[in-house]
Amino acid sequence: MAKQYHNPFSNIDLIYPTGQSDDYLLYCQTGKYKSIERSPFPRMVDLWFAGLSIAARKKLEPVDLSKRKTRHFNNGAIFSQNEDNWRIQIVMLIAIAVEDSVEIVNEPSRMMSIANRLAAAGVPYIVDMLRDGNDEPIWNLSEALREIIHGENT
Amino acid sequence: MKLIRAQFKNFRLLHDLTLDFSTDKTLTVIRAENESGKTTIFTGLQWALYGDDALPQKGKEYRIHPIDWDASDGTQIPISVDVEFEIKRFGRRGSGETKKQYRIIRAGHETLNGHRNDVTVKLFELTNRGSVPIESPEAEIRDILPRELREVFFTDGDRALSFIENVTPTRTKRANIEKAIRSLLGLDVIEAALGHVKKTTSAFNKDAKSFDSDKKVTQAAEKLEEVETTSKRLKHNIGNYESKIAELEENIQEIQKKIDAALLKGNREELKLDIEETEGEVEQLDKKLSDAAKEHSRLFRSLSLSHALLAPVLKKSLGKLSELHTQGKIPSATIPVLEECLIGTTCICGESLDLQTIEGKHRRENIQALIDESRHADALQSKLTELYYGSRNLQLDAIANDKRWIAEYDKIAEEQGKLKSKRDEQGKKLKALEAQAELIPDSNIQKLRATEKELTSLWKHISENLTRAEAKLEGLTREYKRLAAKRDNHLRQQREGARILARLDVASDVQSLLENSYDRITNEEMRKVSRQMNEIFLKMIGAEPEQGAMIQKAEISENFDILVYAPDNRELNPERDLNGASRRALTLAFILALTKVSGVDAPNVIDTPLGMMSGFVKQAVLKNAIRESAQLILFLTRTEIADCEEILDDEAGRVITLTNSVHYPKMLVNKPQEKERKIIRCECHHRTECRLCKRRIDVEEEGQPIS
Repeated sequence: MAKQYHNPFSNIDLIYPTGQSDDYLLYCQTGKYKSIERSPFPRMVDLWFAGLSIAARKKLEPVDLSKRKTRHFNNGAIFSQNEDNWRIQIVMLIAIAVEDSVEIVNEPSRMMSIANRLAAAGVPYIVDMLRDGNDEPIWNLSEALREIIHGENT
Repeated sequence: MKLIRAQFKNFRLLHDLTLDFSTDKTLTVIRAENESGKTTIFTGLQWALYGDDALPQKGKEYRIHPIDWDASDGTQIPISVDVEFEIKRFGRRGSGETKKQYRIIRAGHETLNGHRNDVTVKLFELTNRGSVPIESPEAEIRDILPRELREVFFTDGDRALSFIENVTPTRTKRANIEKAIRSLLGLDVIEAALGHVKKTTSAFNKDAKSFDSDKKVTQAAEKLEEVETTSKRLKHNIGNYESKIAELEENIQEIQKKIDAALLKGNREELKLDIEETEGEVEQLDKKLSDAAKEHSRLFRSLSLSHALLAPVLKKSLGKLSELHTQGKIPSATIPVLEECLIGTTCICGESLDLQTIEGKHRRENIQALIDESRHADALQSKLTELYYGSRNLQLDAIANDKRWIAEYDKIAEEQGKLKSKRDEQGKKLKALEAQAELIPDSNIQKLRATEKELTSLWKHISENLTRAEAKLEGLTREYKRLAAKRDNHLRQQREGARILARLDVASDVQSLLENSYDRITNEEMRKVSRQMNEIFLKMIGAEPEQGAMIQKAEISENFDILVYAPDNRELNPERDLNGASRRALTLAFILALTKVSGVDAPNVIDTPLGMMSGFVKQAVLKNAIRESAQLILFLTRTEIADCEEILDDEAGRVITLTNSVHYPKMLVNKPQEKERKIIRCECHHRTECRLCKRRIDVEEEGQPIS
């Protein structure tokens, strides 16, 4: 676990395309349903971060958000809460990997922009995993993740 | 009399039920399990014929309408039982036998609190011209099926055991048997004549008192009057005590039955504790499941998931940082080293940094300049340094723990699987316990036992009063005889007295004659019943005295005890020495013998006649009951039917099945369409089952159905 770390994203917005609003409502416990089985993600940032991770992993094409309506749901300060500050480094490392340059660490807004665009690309992928299967969403997603991690890492 | 059809409307569980009875063959079978309306039909038929007197506790606080009556359908609930029957009549001067059909309808309304109003009884003769109303239906029914014989023709297999079982006091057993036999005789005329003679004797005694010469007769007559009055009062009290005792015994038996039934299904209190305990376990498991689900949910925001998913991505970025580190661009380690140099007096190159020397001072100034220069290094290097050092753990973890998420998920999934299976198990257990609790009558065993104790104590108290009253009456009877002799003695000594004495003598002779006749007829009938009972009983149990059977004969003694004998006239105690099947056979033999001797042509309606029986005795009891009855209507459970199917194939003119809708899901396989708790009839016979009556036969002891 990373120790307390300077958060360059504190004042930068986390956003998603408006078209994904229902997905955030359905699959986050802060949304429409309180059932963990149907809404496995504790908070919206967790779905956002899962979207970002899967997109980075699957090398998905980042979504061009400049042409889409977006909704701001939080800002980067949330990375400093609940011992989640390792997410700061992950966002930076993903940005370096995507840009193939370390220079980007000087531009927090660009790094967050990359993260928002990747998250927007990854969330539909996550939603497909949640829906694809005969079980409740939490189990469908878990099994799909298991398959990805197990299958591709070995 | 033969029953043809009965229709029940809103009679307890019988919302709307019609039963047809066989008239061409002797036997009709109503297949029904416990709590499937047998007793209700039994009570309903008797209510139609005899009114509230035939209901438990003479109908006091006895609700007739269904307990789940929907008040939105009205608060005056229509109740009715309609019975069609056939009577054989013999024409005058041997014009032959004719059969007439009748229909009796007892109907009225009941309020939700069980108050009955406008209950009427109507009797119609069903002729080719239509229904002809008959006046005084009650009197007509009395003639067809005397009220006193009600319990002979409507027999509860369990209650009939009270003729012989030890739980019933000897005195009551005898009284029951005597009452049953006397009820056969219809000796109302003799009883009325005895009453008249006693009145006449009292009148003669008054005459004796009115004529008086020396006051001695007056004194004796007055005392006799007092004794008569007291005796009359005592007899009245004795009658009251006896009926109260009979009522209490009936109530006690009823409660014992409920206790037995409740014990069979389980103690409500124990069950309640079981349910509470299981509910607690279910609650705990739900909590654990909820915690496990939260734990599962936490996996989606965990570092281990990021490690697992991002390992390839991080490898690339971290590789770049490592490269910079190798090139010495990060970290910038100069400052700490140089700062450390300034603390001492010697440089890392070995030169002096002593402030007292010009060279040392100069070198120190150079080092400080280098530190200042490093501190002004570009922000990029600083951030990369921070990121490099900050993410070193991340890098190590990502490599070492790229499968940790799978292990964590597998553990949680396994734990949840175990919890869910336990939860399912406990959920099923809870459901079964709740279903079991629903079937237990709305009473608890402790409460029933307390009531039983209270009633038994009251029974003892009244029995003691009865014994005292009887002893007193016995004394008064002796006193009466003594005083009468004294009075007669004085009368003899006077001229006018002889005339009165003669009248008194005549009255006394007539009274003795009537009493002797009454006893003689009773004894004769009793002997007839005794012979019939013995014959039927031995056939039922397959005992052949000539072959040295263990049971040689059964008889009713002069004291109205039912006795059973082994070889060499050794007396057996029916309660102790006979098995359950033989005891039941004995009581049924007694009932059938009474029916036969009574000569009354009426149906025998018997509830649970074959309980506790199996094999030969069961079949023989059934065959003999069919043979000895004019019409036999049996309420049988599936267990009672077992082993008797072939007899029913041949002998039953009609078999129907009754099912209680509330037995779903615990005992019935399919969900009934009916919403109300009610008895449903189907045409299934003793060998068939349909969707309505198909039952779960394999029920585990703890009440969990096997699916």
